[in-house]
Amino acid sequence: MKYHLVTLGCQMNQSDSERVKRVLDGMGAQWTDNESEANIIGILACSVRQKAIDKVYSKIAHWNKRKASQNLITFISGCILPADKTKFLKLFDIVFAMRELPQLPQMLSQYGIATPAGLERDNLNPKEEINFFWKVKPKYNSAFEAFIPIQNGCDKFCSFCAVPYTRGREVSRPSHEIIDEVKNLVEKGYKSITLLGQNVNSYGLDKKGEEITFAQLLERIGQIGATTNHRFWVYFTSPHPRDMSREVIEVIAKYDCLAKQIHLPIQSGDDKVLIKMNRKHSVKKYRESVDAIRELIPQATLFTDIIVGFSGESEEQFQNTRKALKEFQYNMAYIAMYSKRPGAASYSWPDDVELKIKKERLALLSEDLAEVSGAYNTAMVGQVFPVLVRDTDRKSGYLSGQTEGKITVRFASDNKALIGQIVDVKITSASNFSVEGELVEVAAKVG
Amino acid sequence: MGKGVPAANKIKTDLHEILDIRHLTDSTFVLRIEKKDLEFEAGQHVCVGPPNGIHTREYSIYSAEQDEYIEILVKEVENGLVSPSLKKLQKGGYVVVEEPVGYFTINKDLPQAQKYVFIASGTGVSPFHSFVLSGKAQNYTLLHGVKYASEAYESEAYDENKYVLCTSQEDKGTFNGRVTDYLKANHFGVDAHYYLCGNCNMIHDVYDILEEQGVSTDNIHAEVYF
Repeated sequence: MKYHLVTLGCQMNQSDSERVKRVLDGMGAQWTDNESEANIIGILACSVRQKAIDKVYSKIAHWNKRKASQNLITFISGCILPADKTKFLKLFDIVFAMRELPQLPQMLSQYGIATPAGLERDNLNPKEEINFFWKVKPKYNSAFEAFIPIQNGCDKFCSFCAVPYTRGREVSRPSHEIIDEVKNLVEKGYKSITLLGQNVNSYGLDKKGEEITFAQLLERIGQIGATTNHRFWVYFTSPHPRDMSREVIEVIAKYDCLAKQIHLPIQSGDDKVLIKMNRKHSVKKYRESVDAIRELIPQATLFTDIIVGFSGESEEQFQNTRKALKEFQYNMAYIAMYSKRPGAASYSWPDDVELKIKKERLALLSEDLAEVSGAYNTAMVGQVFPVLVRDTDRKSGYLSGQTEGKITVRFASDNKALIGQIVDVKITSASNFSVEGELVEVAAKVG
Repeated sequence: MGKGVPAANKIKTDLHEILDIRHLTDSTFVLRIEKKDLEFEAGQHVCVGPPNGIHTREYSIYSAEQDEYIEILVKEVENGLVSPSLKKLQKGGYVVVEEPVGYFTINKDLPQAQKYVFIASGTGVSPFHSFVLSGKAQNYTLLHGVKYASEAYESEAYDENKYVLCTSQEDKGTFNGRVTDYLKANHFGVDAHYYLCGNCNMIHDVYDILEEQGVSTDNIHAEVYF
């Protein structure tokens, strides 16, 4: 029995897919890259963009046609809006919430049999159920980069986002499980570990004092780094500005293994837009966090997310976002044009910024970003940076990787054995979003 | 979930019994529901939906922290995902209730004598009703903007000297006009903490006025009603 999995969307889904693979492997199923020879096909959906949902409908239509000539079981999980779920129930053999993953073998073994499950009320608390999911050991996709889910769900209810309705309320994973997973990865020589959560720095808040805080969790991970010869970098994504404390930034500054790269979504640089987005922080509050980062970790790179053309966004409000981008000197910004998401609160509001204007705003912000990021990259020239080599580069005879600050670097080398290693690279030239350099030597603290 | 039954496709429910329904206007009602073990802080909200429905929506809690039940103030929204279904429910029926969350709460570190100005439009008065009934603020003024005085929604809960009903469509309130007009004419000072809850346009207009009056964004707290 062979299986194939299609994973759409964010790193959280990528991480979840590693656990799905482990469960299917545990059933004796074998992974295949070839979708057409699979007997079990699953899809981890993403509701953030309509394009991803359209892809789900396209895929399942194709798979259901194949059922006429082939034994095939289909399932879907991930971020699914309630309205889509009712449609998927008719299209897929199995629809389940990711926290129900441990029960997937049971579902697969009984699929197609009419059971009362479709109507039965679930008395198991979702907060307890997610703990069973986290106990599933992932089958990591990479030998040197790994993702660790530490928190699931969202209590923030940003008006543009449907995640609170797809993933439920915030639940923190037990810290001892996270620490164990980090230790295990470090022992195996992993170089990049990313702690994942919808609001990763809200970690522990749901436990109301019965679990350590995010800063304390980072402190414990930092201590693991301090007691090993392995060199590794620990990242986290995505934090919410509301819960970004100075304490977290102090801990990052304290430990070498805590990567000096922070992704802090701002979404808009205008207070009134932030209110309408229900972001629960002001630009001033955001600025305090950035000031603390610049003060305590001056070498840190800063990434963000921005939405342009949100419902009612005026030219003046957009200009405030441009000012914020320049003020905060981002190294990278993931800029999206606003689109209505069914299920999100803003769905009922007019999508009243013309597409042409949205495109112009996207282009302007991208130009601003290129300027800011390009200046930072130019200042890197002549300096030596440790780089985690991730792959061969598109340019023949080159390898590519990322600095600790996630600046993309390429350098001339045919030595594929360096992939997965941290090496020193002297930067020789820069462009707006990447730099080029020369290999100096394999860093001394290679694990 | 019965043993041996696949968990696929199940419908998540956490059902709470409806203990009472009070209709305040043709479209607005208070739903009193079983509290079970839900604890909350005044100003927080719960996601509520009809049983076996696929949608829930956030409603600020209207009742007091110490009450043995939870109340929400609901206005039926035409073509809404949830409120029309809730309106059809009867006492003794059930609703899905998720645990209370939210950050629109009173800062415990502020002194007891702290001056608060609560500014609401329509059913946005709900968290302020909970603040007052829970004894969270003594020194407050509540500005409540509505079209008609009939939308004052159980205003007897507030000290009459601290409640300003701003009616925009008739001259039956404390003040005939919008809350924004009242606020422009009555300054409460830069040291007060302003809590705004209601529709986004009102919040944006109030925000501009407060900014003009020199109030720091640290002292402005907003909860947009969708």
